[in-house]
Amino acid sequence: MTWWSLVLILVWLGTFVAGQLFFKRAMESSRMAGFQNRQTISILSAGILLMTVSFFLNLGLLQRFDLSYLYPFQGLSVIIIMLMAAVILKEKLTLRLTIGTLLITAGVVLVSMS
Amino acid sequence: MTNNRPSGFANPWFQLGLNIICVVLYELLLKAGAKATADPSKSWSWIGITGLASPLIWLAIVVIILDLVIWLYVLKYIPLSIAFPLSRLVDVLVPISCWLILKEGISSLRWCGIALVIIGLAIVAKPAARLEERL
Repeated sequence: MTWWSLVLILVWLGTFVAGQLFFKRAMESSRMAGFQNRQTISILSAGILLMTVSFFLNLGLLQRFDLSYLYPFQGLSVIIIMLMAAVILKEKLTLRLTIGTLLITAGVVLVSMS
Repeated sequence: MTNNRPSGFANPWFQLGLNIICVVLYELLLKAGAKATADPSKSWSWIGITGLASPLIWLAIVVIILDLVIWLYVLKYIPLSIAFPLSRLVDVLVPISCWLILKEGISSLRWCGIALVIIGLAIVAKPAARLEERL
């Protein structure tokens, strides 16, 4: 793996995680202010833009690498999203949720290693 | 949170299940489409745009858009830190559907990984159930 593909994988993950956070924020905003609201629309659009970038990067990576090679990175996104949801969205993390999420990630990595 | 959680088809947990089915479907479509159109000789193909030549990719895009609407609906009711780990049931369903449908082999190490994901999901499902009581 070259440094270039590592950069692309990181950008792919970063845009994916950020997109999910924007989606959640947009839905919170829609609960308060509805979908006609300007803030809701702009946050949602930002999320869709990020997801689009992530989608095409994913496609480009899939053309070069096996799905099984890329999968562990996708597994990492579970942990990153859980942490970011706690830090940025102030969602409550329980010990149980953290352990469960760690097991899911470990399982995903194991599946793709074999 | 309020008590007006929609029931039946509009139930967010049911929609989360639909979301998972959509993701399994489009992951398989994307891989098939990407494989059919791979052309690593062009340097700009890193951005994956060549994939658009495949009808499978377009079908996948339709499923992704449908899935996005479902996912946004799920996020309206369920915290991201619970909904996202649960949505990774996909990581169990993709290899198992490859095993059942495509008759691909699954090594014992891979079965262990699948088991770990299922245990993790069961553990995450507990806070989700508690959340359900509060809704």
